[in-house]
Amino acid sequence: MLNLIKNEWMKIFKRPGTYVMMAILIAVTIIVGIFFKYQDNNNKAAVDKNWEQTLQQENDALKKQMDQSQTKIEKKFYQKEIAINDYRIKHHINPHEKYNVWSFVKDASELIILAGLFTIIVSAGIVASEFNWGTIKLLLIRPINRTKILTSKYLTVLMFALFMLGILFVFSMALGAVLFGMPENALPYLNYNNGQVTEQNIVVHLLIYYGLNSIKMMMLVTMAFMISSVFRNSSLAIGLSLFLLFTGDQFTALLSLKFAWAKYILFANTDLMQYFEGTPMVEGMTLTFSILMLLLYFVVFQFFAFFVFKKRDVAA
Amino acid sequence: MEKIVELRDVTKVIKGRTIIDNISFQVNKGEVFGFLGPNGAGKTTTIRMIVGLMGITSGDITIAGASIKTQFEDAVRHVGAIVENPEMYKFLTGYQNLVHYARMTKGITKEKIAETVELVGLTDRINDKVKTYSLGMRQRLGLAQCLLHDPQVLILDEPTNGLDPAGIREIRDYVRLLAREKNMAVIVSSHLLSEMEMMCDRIGIIQNGKLIDVQLVQEFVQSTESTYELEVFPSDKALALIETTYPNIRIGRSRNGISIEVSKEEIPQLVKILVNEDIQVFGIKEIAKTLEDRFLEVTKEKEAATHA
Repeated sequence: MLNLIKNEWMKIFKRPGTYVMMAILIAVTIIVGIFFKYQDNNNKAAVDKNWEQTLQQENDALKKQMDQSQTKIEKKFYQKEIAINDYRIKHHINPHEKYNVWSFVKDASELIILAGLFTIIVSAGIVASEFNWGTIKLLLIRPINRTKILTSKYLTVLMFALFMLGILFVFSMALGAVLFGMPENALPYLNYNNGQVTEQNIVVHLLIYYGLNSIKMMMLVTMAFMISSVFRNSSLAIGLSLFLLFTGDQFTALLSLKFAWAKYILFANTDLMQYFEGTPMVEGMTLTFSILMLLLYFVVFQFFAFFVFKKRDVAA
Repeated sequence: MEKIVELRDVTKVIKGRTIIDNISFQVNKGEVFGFLGPNGAGKTTTIRMIVGLMGITSGDITIAGASIKTQFEDAVRHVGAIVENPEMYKFLTGYQNLVHYARMTKGITKEKIAETVELVGLTDRINDKVKTYSLGMRQRLGLAQCLLHDPQVLILDEPTNGLDPAGIREIRDYVRLLAREKNMAVIVSSHLLSEMEMMCDRIGIIQNGKLIDVQLVQEFVQSTESTYELEVFPSDKALALIETTYPNIRIGRSRNGISIEVSKEEIPQLVKILVNEDIQVFGIKEIAKTLEDRFLEVTKEKEAATHA
């Protein structure tokens, strides 16, 4: 299996396109960094000395709003804000931290979508290209069954996704450190869960944040992989997956306004962050439900990919 | 002779159409088996089933005793193949391509790769990208790819397609060498008859998905009666004479005189008759039937039989 993955890795990294992708990812991160740096310079003036008082005022206002608000969801949101503000006042944690490397890493995580885009391109091509090149014939007449070959291809895609995310994380960290400097003492991230506020190391928080943000990308990568294997057509796989990557959320949000079954749509479940920091897209959804849905989609995608690949008559 | 590949009642149905109809044959070690048939007869489909690229609707194929259906890995371990054109990864070098395939079979060393490269004569160019290779070089790289693991069965689908005469000859010599020296069984498919005649020990003719005939090449080409061409003058008189003497004989005009199908023993008698009648005999020569003639004969006979 290791040898098979080595082969796939070689086939990805001996093509110039892969380096173009890496270069684009790094270039865009630099552009974003410069943009934030420029903004940061403009905003330097406003540093609030009496932030504790300001927070207290904010809390009072929030409490009034909470009393007036009608929906449960809104109330929960206000509760959370107030709890976090209280915690800050009590433990002297300034909310207006100077923009530093960690703030930048968090902002740069928006670029995960770009890493996702590139991984989808690789994933869409990894099976379909072998058919296009005609090399599938020589690949499948080795003493290795097709399931193993396809598994090695999927694992390679996963590794490539990690590789892209790794580049983004490490590079944005390095760039952030250069442009914005390391904070003197890293302030923890404040987690709110069931009325409890807990501190979390900022790096751990960022890694979790990355992980949760990558779920949608991984599901679409898996879908692209399936389309690639079932239809042997990389353009279709890329096109459809990218279209859903960019529009899936909006469509699902629109549908969820009208229909309750929208919660069964993949994109209603890809953002697990909604259970930690926000409100679910459709009322009544839980973390367990979403994880089960994600698993279900994953299994269905993989089932089609493997079933078709194994049964296929290769006549390319 | 020890059989190594065996097809038993192999049938392939695609979308209700029978592409391959009940084919059975076997190939022995050290033998070059030619698979002959017009385009679209089912050669490539059969080869794809032998190497497991296509499923078998019914029947079975075994290689070295292992079924390609149920023991794919054990069966295909003994096979090296080029199916149609040897498509390689163009963005990799020749060497990287070979490393790629070597990794997929256990126990292929670097030395073995170098040895195989040497064998097919690609040593000078092996570190160049495949996209810079000529067709002949790709064909050789394809051959290297299927010889890496010392297979017992070599399958070449249209190996000489698009090669120049020198390249064709090289492949032919090579195939013969492998069969003789390494005791490999080689299955070659082609629609080029002259080539098969020179390369193969036995041939199987396939037409419309049916295996029409399997014979040794020599037997196939020679039949009991041969055709002789007689250069005689005047030919009209000779023709009439022979027709009256041998009413059941097949006779016709040819470019230089008349052609006639008789057994060898009859020739002296025939000459005597001609000389007695004052017909001048300038020459008699046997016309060897080529595989092509036989092939057309056989396929036509079958067609006529099915239409009748």
